[in-house]
Amino acid sequence: MEGAFRKIDVDIYDEDVLQEHELYEPDSRDPAAVLDDARAKQTSVRSALNKGDTVSALSLALSDYPFGLNVDDAKVIALQVVLSILNTTKSTDIPNVLKALTPEQHDVLMKYIYKGMASSGSDVNGNILLDWHEKLTEIAGLGCIVRTMTDRKTV
Amino acid sequence: MAPETFNLSQGTPLLAHSFNADRSQVAVSFNSKDAQILTRSGSSWTPTELLAEHDKVITSIDWAPQSNRIVTASQDRNAYVWQETPDPETGKIVWKPTLVLLRINRAATYVRWSPNEDKFAVASGARAIAVCSFDPENNWWVSKHLKKPIRSTVLAIDWHPNNVLIAAGSADMKARVFSAYIKEVDAKPPPTVWGSKLPFNTICGEYTSPSGGWVHAVAFSPSGDAMAFASHDSSITVVYPSSGVCTVKMVSLPAMTLTWTSEQSIIAAGHDCQPYVFSGNEGGWEGVGTLDDVTGPKAGGAARPGVGKLNSAAFNTFRSADSRGQSSSGAGSEVQLLTTHQNSITSVRPYEFSGGVVSKVSTSGLDGRLVIWDANEVSAVSTKLGGLSV
Repeated sequence: MEGAFRKIDVDIYDEDVLQEHELYEPDSRDPAAVLDDARAKQTSVRSALNKGDTVSALSLALSDYPFGLNVDDAKVIALQVVLSILNTTKSTDIPNVLKALTPEQHDVLMKYIYKGMASSGSDVNGNILLDWHEKLTEIAGLGCIVRTMTDRKTV
Repeated sequence: MAPETFNLSQGTPLLAHSFNADRSQVAVSFNSKDAQILTRSGSSWTPTELLAEHDKVITSIDWAPQSNRIVTASQDRNAYVWQETPDPETGKIVWKPTLVLLRINRAATYVRWSPNEDKFAVASGARAIAVCSFDPENNWWVSKHLKKPIRSTVLAIDWHPNNVLIAAGSADMKARVFSAYIKEVDAKPPPTVWGSKLPFNTICGEYTSPSGGWVHAVAFSPSGDAMAFASHDSSITVVYPSSGVCTVKMVSLPAMTLTWTSEQSIIAAGHDCQPYVFSGNEGGWEGVGTLDDVTGPKAGGAARPGVGKLNSAAFNTFRSADSRGQSSSGAGSEVQLLTTHQNSITSVRPYEFSGGVVSKVSTSGLDGRLVIWDANEVSAVSTKLGGLSV
């Protein structure tokens, strides 16, 4: 009862209100194409992982990632793909894998690490995510975490 | 040479500072409704004048070097121009305020004189920039608003050397370049890289912060042919309108303020409590070091490992609560940072020029300190992480 007044959406009376889709450049692909891309990437990441090539699997998974509105299915697949790579990498290999990535990919990986920590599921292993988080922070710094917090292009 | 550090307020935050032309006086805002003028005597600063007219916190101060006028902007939605005039009764020289008709309905956040000192611009939370010029007929300052297409609070502005263009950083995550041409004041400006026809409110450029952070600081390069901005996504972006945009992703916490020291060099400072130096050109920019040599011996600085905010008192309180179950901070709650500033830096400004480049800069911080740095004494950042111990 005491919080009932909060249900009024005052923003609808503001013609100039900032909408969520105005906060970032939207993806140029349409949602169906994003989903197809995510599925195709799942296959190619799997084959790269089978060859033991973690770096190219990870850089593949972290490029052209699905973000924004209306791509929830693709986001689920993309998170699974990234988590499968993180879960199968030996702890001692992590620093070298991270060093081979670009700063842009560091930022995207940090988003997936936080997304992973926020999700639940059989493929989420908090211990492994914390390990990656620690090593990624050593290389990309606090700035990388700040960028994850500010970026509206959520994964 | 070690930086000159002045602890002006024993911990009261310094929101803004501005020196006079010969650097013998400085006007500061101690997070209060009055601006304080301090006069240098040897190695200390003595309060000499109080500029009291605002009703709320003064957010920004700028002291015009040639005309010796001070402009203050405040959360009370007003700006005042202060001028030294003889008191009609006593003949004593006093700072006399003149109200500026800003016509904004939110706080004023930032103010800067134009290079010719015949205009100034006030950024505000009213999604507008008030460009003010003097109306001699009515003997007051009038303003014209730059509004479109600003979608949120304007956090910082900077003037182009041609006295017409203005750069603005805003909480809608964009930095923009506008024309603030006032026909009563300005001669027709020659064409620049930003455009040739420049009526009032022309948008000469709009640039988004790379990872969606508020744009806290903007600055034109000395020539005016490039513009840099710092945003809350811990990045510095340099815009060359003719050739493109360069971005530096910082490993440290976000910068709140920046200044160019030459056409190839920028100093930025903020939540990491130390001024970082960046250098580059159209081909690309990179961080080259810090002005704060945190590895060297420092008088009064505690020799504790760790630099930056993570070693703060609050962090240690939570850490001891986590590891030892201590709920109160107890002994050693006030941890000294290894950096010269003990809290976020709010403003960095050029202090001294030599041979056309800035040789010294001044910074003020939330720790109440005013520091003057040699801009050429760049030392390597001690560790990439600033000593974060995870």
